Amino acid sequence: MIDCDVHNDWSSSNVLLPYIDPTFRDYLLRGELPGARGSFPHAHRPWLHPEDFRRHDIKPTTDDEHYSFMREHLLDRYQHDVAILTGEEALEVSTLANPHYASALARAYNDWAVDTWLPRDDRFWMSLIVAPQDPQGAAAEIRRLGAHPRVVQVLTSHGSYRPYGDKFYEPIWEACHEMGLPWAVHLGGQGGINYQPIGGGPTTYYWETHALLLQPAMTHVASVIANGIFERYPNQKLLVIECGVTWLPSILWRLDANWRALRKETPWVKRLPSEYARDHIRMSTQPLEEAATKQQLWDVLRAMDGENMLMFASDYPHWDFDAPDDMPLPPTWMDKVMDANARQVYTKLPRTPVPWQLDAHKEPAL
Amino acid sequence: MAGERAPRAHVVCRADELPPGGRVLVNLDGRSVGVFNIDGQLHALHNRCPHAAGALCMGPVTGTTAPTEAGARTFVYTQANHILRCAWHGWEFEIESGRCLSDDRVRAKRFKVAVDQGQVVVTI
Ligand code: FES
Repeated sequence: MIDCDVHNDWSSSNVLLPYIDPTFRDYLLRGELPGARGSFPHAHRPWLHPEDFRRHDIKPTTDDEHYSFMREHLLDRYQHDVAILTGEEALEVSTLANPHYASALARAYNDWAVDTWLPRDDRFWMSLIVAPQDPQGAAAEIRRLGAHPRVVQVLTSHGSYRPYGDKFYEPIWEACHEMGLPWAVHLGGQGGINYQPIGGGPTTYYWETHALLLQPAMTHVASVIANGIFERYPNQKLLVIECGVTWLPSILWRLDANWRALRKETPWVKRLPSEYARDHIRMSTQPLEEAATKQQLWDVLRAMDGENMLMFASDYPHWDFDAPDDMPLPPTWMDKVMDANARQVYTKLPRTPVPWQLDAHKEPAL
Repeated sequence: MAGERAPRAHVVCRADELPPGGRVLVNLDGRSVGVFNIDGQLHALHNRCPHAAGALCMGPVTGTTAPTEAGARTFVYTQANHILRCAWHGWEFEIESGRCLSDDRVRAKRFKVAVDQGQVVVTI
């Protein structure tokens, strides 16, 4: 079983001090922070979870506890084969106006994760977090660490300065393609320099906003296809992590219809948008929509070829965690969604898929 | 049904009423047909779009962009005056072949058209 979204948190951003470039060590050490010492430099979203966005049954304080609790509550409990680490606050570097500081923080996070998280558990594989507002810096980081045998993807927040198909990001796509790494876009970065994470203007409440997390993801999917990223980089994958799932077929239907009429506007787009999506885009399951009936959910998932497009993710240890032993998916899809699909995308993982066996991954009764 | 009738030749107009760049729309045995003169060649198409039965032959005759490389994202204008864009949703059709540019499996219906003794004659 492969879990595509596991958050490896820290006790304090001070863990980055030994890893960050000296120029920016001063910033982190003495510079202004959004909270107390130990908080992470970023611009926070204007929607604050009224009860904290982490699960309340898991409250690690030390760095060792961050790992040991994860092992207990996730890795051992559900018998994970692979956990893809996606960081925690580091993703929020995308909100900073200073691209140099943002890239320095991303580099420090990556080195810290390689140094302290990977050695803890051989089920760990990691994402390279980059600062997308600094495309050259991000590309350099992808080339610096992208060949690490445990680095399986490049990760940025879905909140963004511009849609990710925009020419501005060409260096990042180029570097991803060169290093053979998918670009994963994960919920986050909904503040600071990132432009309008919610269409129509800022919503009011956390839960309301969280339900709309699909909005920027829709934008990126449309933008990446319309700008011909997959024509230019034929093996490139875009992974959509924690942005919901069932909106995809609807957006692809709309994109297909519009492209049929206005293909002349983007002559580099040579196939139906849905065909590019089928070949190049994968989505993580969490937070899977809770439809009124399983049948309704399955109808939509079938319309997007969910059997081949979806990859399981738990989003441990957040409040909207999905447990692997309770996935409301067609049983015949489980081998692929829980394991094989991710192995196709993350090519550094061992090649042989592990068939799904509910008993093996079932949470022991409390 | 229309399809079961033997083909019939219909005089549409005088040839000099349809100069290069011209178009006439006629109703032939209950079927709406557009006849186009493209650079001196005549083409007759069913004015019923294969997409959603829209007014195909009332759309602009134009050119389009040729497929280009995604890297450069450049534009090459091509097939000037050889593309018919459906008046409804704008699907593009090659007038000469009826081929739909965004879906190779889709074809606009074409009819035989010729000039006979100074008259434009469409056979449907
Ligand atoms: S009816 Fe012709 S494009 Fe829709």
